[in-house]
Amino acid sequence: MFFLSEIEHTLRLPPYLLNRPLNEAIKGELDSTFLDKVIEKLGLCITVYDIQSIEGGFIFPGDGASTYTVMFRLVMFRPYEGEIISARLQESTKDGLRLSLGFFDDIYVPVPLLASPVHSEPDPRLKDSVTWIWEYDGQNYPIDGADEIRFRVHNVSYPPIPLEQEEEASDKKAVKPFAPMVITGSLDGDGLGPVSWWV
Amino acid sequence: MKILDSKAGALTNFEVLDLLRSRGAGTDPTRVIASVSPSEFKVFDYLENSAACNQTREIIQKFVDVCKKFDLAKAEILNIINTRPSSAVEVYQIIEDCDIRMEEDTIHELVETINQILPSRQSTEETAEENNEIEEETAEENNEMTS
Repeated sequence: MFFLSEIEHTLRLPPYLLNRPLNEAIKGELDSTFLDKVIEKLGLCITVYDIQSIEGGFIFPGDGASTYTVMFRLVMFRPYEGEIISARLQESTKDGLRLSLGFFDDIYVPVPLLASPVHSEPDPRLKDSVTWIWEYDGQNYPIDGADEIRFRVHNVSYPPIPLEQEEEASDKKAVKPFAPMVITGSLDGDGLGPVSWWV
Repeated sequence: MKILDSKAGALTNFEVLDLLRSRGAGTDPTRVIASVSPSEFKVFDYLENSAACNQTREIIQKFVDVCKKFDLAKAEILNIINTRPSSAVEVYQIIEDCDIRMEEDTIHELVETINQILPSRQSTEETAEENNEIEEETAEENNEMTS
């Protein structure tokens, strides 16, 4: 789930940080630049693991800030295809399920990848929400938010940043914020799905 | 920004949890004083609720050594350490081509090994009860000695 990635970055240290010890100031700048951000092909940055070297400290003409070349390692969240992860159910709609890990919410299980055979029932409590129920051996097993759901990572994609915001003037539906990293999961298999089905 | 090495090493959930704990994430109930940001706290919460909360470095090292005889890929061992499957059905999903590479006996042996070496999430309550009993016993001994 987590990997280390080594990055070299040219960091501009603003002048108001000059009275702080160098390591602290650089760590603070790295945190604000990389933490909780998605880097394409590397995944979601969780935290800075360590700083390996800081070089430079040059001040470019016309600029008040000093520029450093920093080599450091980041802990990246990047699940590989075929990995089994436990997550919680966030919402269940007619297109499938959406799962969440707390720090990462864009995990989708589309209808074709749900445990088959499965049928849906509209949920009386929430509008637009359906409960998916798995049929096995004559028994009905609903997918509710009670316990953890194990899924297999089917695909990790990094959709490109959209250039234009879609205008939904007539439709009152809220436009979903752009997700830079999307994990597609699959529940189709023995041992996958809510943990209570298998324990 | 230049990416020097995208796969400088794989980390188990325990190692990430240990890293966040060493920054003070576990000991700070107010979540303001420790040098851990809110997004890192979310990761910490997720890991504390997973199988990684009871592991130690020695346990993981022991598990890796014992697993050498099962001929598992590194990614599979990592996945097992992270999710701690407790039954054959769960192990079947993790190991690729499980029915071709391993027979039923081997799978059961692997599940036994997992259950013995890797602690389950409930074991904190048991060890907490044991610790309480030990503390009560030592408290009684101290009372006897002082009186």
